Parts: sequence; structure tokens; C-alpha cells
Amino acid sequence: MERISLFCFGASYFVAFALELWHQLRPRPVQRLFATLFGAAGLVAQTLYLGVWQPPLAWQFGILLVLAWILSIFYLFGSIHRRQQAWGLFVLPLILILVSAATVFGPPTDESGARLAGLFSRDDRRLLYIIHGSLALLAAVGVCVGFLASVMYLVQARRLKVKLLPGQGLKLPSLERLEAMNDRALTLAFPLLTAGMGLGVWLMLTEPVATWNDPRVLSTLSLWLVFVVLLLLRFSFHLRGRRVALLTIAAFTLLLVTLIVPHMGRGGLP
Amino acid sequence: MILLDVGCSFRTTTVDLRERLAFDGDKLPRALDELSRRYDCEAVILSTCNRVELYLAAVAAASKLTADQVIHFLSEFHGVPPEAIQPHLYTHHHGDAVRHLFRVIASLDSMIIGEGQIAGQVKKAYEQAQERGTAGPLLHALFQHARQVARRVRTETGIARGHVSVSSAAVDYVRQVFDHFGDKTILVIGAGKMGELTLRHLRELRPGKILVTNRSPEKAQTVARGCGGEPVLWERLDEVLARADIVLSTTGAPQPIVTLDRWQRIAARRTSGTVVILDIAVPRDFDPRIHDGDQTCLFNIDDLKRIREATLADRLKHVAPAETIVETETRRFLKEWARRRNGPVIARLTQELETKREAIVRQLLARLNGKLTEAERSYLEGAFRLLQNQFLHGPITALTEESHEVPGAGGHTLLDAMRKLFRLQE
Repeated sequence: MERISLFCFGASYFVAFALELWHQLRPRPVQRLFATLFGAAGLVAQTLYLGVWQPPLAWQFGILLVLAWILSIFYLFGSIHRRQQAWGLFVLPLILILVSAATVFGPPTDESGARLAGLFSRDDRRLLYIIHGSLALLAAVGVCVGFLASVMYLVQARRLKVKLLPGQGLKLPSLERLEAMNDRALTLAFPLLTAGMGLGVWLMLTEPVATWNDPRVLSTLSLWLVFVVLLLLRFSFHLRGRRVALLTIAAFTLLLVTLIVPHMGRGGLP
Repeated sequence: MILLDVGCSFRTTTVDLRERLAFDGDKLPRALDELSRRYDCEAVILSTCNRVELYLAAVAAASKLTADQVIHFLSEFHGVPPEAIQPHLYTHHHGDAVRHLFRVIASLDSMIIGEGQIAGQVKKAYEQAQERGTAGPLLHALFQHARQVARRVRTETGIARGHVSVSSAAVDYVRQVFDHFGDKTILVIGAGKMGELTLRHLRELRPGKILVTNRSPEKAQTVARGCGGEPVLWERLDEVLARADIVLSTTGAPQPIVTLDRWQRIAARRTSGTVVILDIAVPRDFDPRIHDGDQTCLFNIDDLKRIREATLADRLKHVAPAETIVETETRRFLKEWARRRNGPVIARLTQELETKREAIVRQLLARLNGKLTEAERSYLEGAFRLLQNQFLHGPITALTEESHEVPGAGGHTLLDAMRKLFRLQE
């Protein structure tokens, strides 16, 4: 089990993506089947990897891998239930980006060079830290799903704009479904993010875990503000379609910044 | 045994002649009974607006069923002189008849390749023959196999993919925008014939509400009544356009009724999501500049025609694979049928020779008793078995080859000859 590496599941997802691409060029059910099988193999390998190494969620390595793991479940679900649609072409690249980013950061180690283990390591085992981490992770999943729905929405809207024939090119869900998926992802992610952030602020005020000028705190607050603006425009000003999709993509970009940049050259939570 | 198909289609006749040769109403059962009685044969009649075909099979070896007799029957039954119909009829015998039926049911011979109606019509024709008791073992096997062929062609090739009518193609575009239709409002503007057809397809989506507006309130009432919709006054057009999810416009107005400015005012009032406008009027009712592919998706008659043309072009690509399936299945059917027909004769012949060989070998070994070693005995037995196999090889191969060509005439002559030559009991 310990011989399973990032390369194992990264390569599986890559092959699945290549097969999905091939399926778009020369559609045959066998390619889709093998893409799903490789995706499933990647998921199994990643599950075993996470089970064995339990990378701490307080580190970018851990959160990126767990995020990729949840999205790969999302990919498998979509490719089984929406077999006709080009689901994998959008989800798999995101999974590959997350796994690649995790590979770049590498697993966290302690001062002696030993690998840190335990999803909620050391002090983080306390219930409040676990809840804080889980809420942030679930909110990140929501933003990722919203991002995927938005990218697909823009592609579908582009197809309609140039009046591509319905059977031509990528097969995507309808605009209505994609908009609903985005709405649902955002309305679920926002309360999770708010609760996670509120808990984080409370922990920060009661224990010296971080300060207001900590990049993690600042970027999370920015993300939350973007979310507030996005939801306000969407539900109070009835902003719809392409504009909402673009704002969601902006929110996702900020999420990536929140996940990656504040951790550059630093450890996780103390 | 004879298998024969005599008929005509849109390729060989005018609609006028097809109408005269059609077996509609009570003509069909009468014709089936008459054919069966007169020629002592199995009969299935396929009568649609595009073709009239008679599939006949005579199992009796002595049957003298010919194409000329069928033409004579058609002429007599419909009261049309034979010389008026003969040049327009085609005839297929045996394997060609099998192939033709498979091509017909796979809609390779249809006016619109890949259309799905013909498979149902063939099925119905067979069921009607069954009801009259005129479908016997050969036609039963043939039509059952034909249904499998149709299924294979539809599932293994893309020949039936897509919409080929302009009115149904509209649904393809609508489905790219919407998923659920129970909460959607369709607004019909005008009352054109094309609009009615398109609305029929849109109604299959089960929309929540249909609104109909027309410059003439009476016409709006009539159309609304026909589609279970609600008439709306023409003066309220902007208001209902701001509420509608799908708009079907089919007026005869000489100028666009919704200009860019007017639409911008309407769009500002809209609170629901994307609207799909199917502008199938010529000249167009909506300014094409309103289309943005996001909140307003406007499709005109040319866009819908493009779907139809693309579908037809795409279907043509699947003709060759479909023909291959038809050819493979034709051979399979003929082989299977030959096996069913020749199997008992071959078995009897083999058994007969086996018995004779065993008797002779037994006699020979009894005479040579004690003079042969065990090895010599088995060599002798083997030599007789080899002789028997080589002797049987010729007739069996000839029978098989003959039956591959035809499930009828030639095959039954050989079979009869074999029965007589080898004195095989029935």
C-alpha cells in the first residue's frame, strides 16, 4: 500500500482524460468505458493513498489532494449517470491541476524530515479545528463545482451563440441545468464558508493561531466578500447567465489563491 | 419451396398508381385470404403510402407460384389492367427477396433514410397476416429475423440518429437550453401551418402553459383551442414576451414585429431566465441582432433546416455499415433456413449409410475372423468410415451450396433428388 504514489493516480486520471479526448474525436463506447475504468482506478489508488498517508488538511498538499479526491468521485458519478455528456473533459483537467499542484508542494515534513501524517494533526485534533477544516474543505468543493458548471455554461452559451448544430461537437448539459448546478453549489458553499470562516475568526481571537494580517485570513476574507457580491448580484439583482459564470470563475481563482499562495514556503496551522 | 416478393414503391411508381394498388380497409384481409387460397401459399402484404409489397412463400414442392400470377392477381383485385402496372413492379426471388425485406425494414429503401415508421409498418403487416392465418413457418422466420435486423441496424449504426423534419429539429435547440418543461411557458405568435407542426413537437415536451396571440382574436381563440392553450390579446404581446420561456413565431407580417429596441425594452422587464425564440416566419418576425446565445437564443427557419440537412448527411454515412449488416443477416438467415430445411435429410442420409457400412464391415470381419490382427481390423473399419465420409461429402456440400443461393426453387429440387436417389423415407 505504501508504494502507491501520486504518480499512480495522477497517471490514471491523465489516461482517463486522454481517453475522454479521444472519445470526443472518434466517439466509441469502449473509450468512454475505459476512461471510466481508469478514473475509477485512479480513485481507488487515491483513496488508498489518503488512507495510508493521511496528509494533514492544514497543509496545501493535504487539502489539494482531498479536494481532487472529492472531485474524482464527482467525475465518476457524472460519467456513469451522464454518459452522453462531455463531463470528464471538464472535471479531469481540474483534478489533474489539483494533483499536480499537490505534487509541486510535496508532502509536509517535520524538522527531522519525517513525513507528517493524520488529516487533523497534533492540536488540530480538537473538535473545533476539525469542524473549521471540514467546513472550509466543503466550501472549496462547492466553489470547484460552481467553477466547473460555469465553464461548461460558457462553452454551451458559446455553442448557442454561434448556432452550432445540437449534435455537433461537445455534448453538454442544458444552460438551465448548468445554471441550476452553479446556483446550488454557490448557495451551499456560502453558508459553509461563512461558518468555517466565523469559526476561524473566533479561534483566532481566543488562541494565538494567526493574526488579521495573515495571508490566509486576508485571502479567505476576500473570497467571502466576492461570494457576498456574487450572491447579492445573483439573487437580489437577478444577474444571470454568462456574468454569473464569469464571477464564479473569479471566485474559484481566488479560492486557488487562498489555498496555495498563503501557504507558500510556510507550514500549516501551528 | 418458393419465396417471392412482388411490389412497387415511391421509386418506381407515382402516388396515383400506389393509391390504386393500396390494400386499405377490408381489402387487406380479403387479399390475404384470396392469395393463400388461390396459390396455396403463405402471404404477407405490406401496404404503406410509399410502397405496396406482397411477400409470398410456397412450401409445397409442387407449387407453381410465379411473379406473373401475382401481377395477374393484383390486376384482377384492383381492377387495373396488367399492362398498366407491370412496368412499375419489381420482383425479388428467394435470397433477393430476403435482402429486400431486410433493406426495407432497416429503412435503407425509405424516402427518408433511417426513418423509424417503416419497422412498425412491417411488424403490423406481419401481425395482420398472422391474424388471417396466412403467415406460415417460412414467413414467420423471415419476418422475425427482419425485426432483429431492424434493431441491429438502429442500434449499431447512427442511421436513425437526429431529427429530419424542420418542425422536430426545433426541439433539439430547445433541449440545449432547457431541461425541464413543466414550469415553462410557450408563447405562440401567429397561426401558420408550420407553426402548428412545430407546436405539436413542442407539446410533446409537456410545457406548463401555452399562450397564443394573433392580430385576429378569433384566430388566437381557434389555435388556443386546438392546442389546449390560452388566447392572449395582441396588445399584450410585450407583456407575455417578458414572461415566456419559449416563443414560437409564425406570423405573415411583412416587417419584423420585434425590433432590437423593442426587445431591449422587453428584456429589461424579464425576470425569468433564458428565452428561446423559434422564428419560423418568412419574412422573419424578430430582429436577428437580439440573439446572444445566453439570455436570448433566436433560431430562424434556416437554422432549423441546417439541422435537417446535417442529420440527413450524417445518416448517409451510416448507409454502408447498415448495408453490411443487411448482407450479413441475409446470409445468416439463408444459412439458418437451409440448416432447418436440409438438416433432417442430411441426418437421415448419414444414418442410412452408417447402418449399411456397419453391416458390411461386420460381415467382412466375420468372414476374415481370426486372420486379422487388432490393428488390421481397426484399419479396415477406418477405411470404410473414410469411404462413407468421402461419399457423403459431395451431396452434402452441393446441398449446402445450393441452399446458400436460394432458400427455394433450386434447393428443393436437389433435396427431392436426394430423397429419390437414396430412397430416404419422409
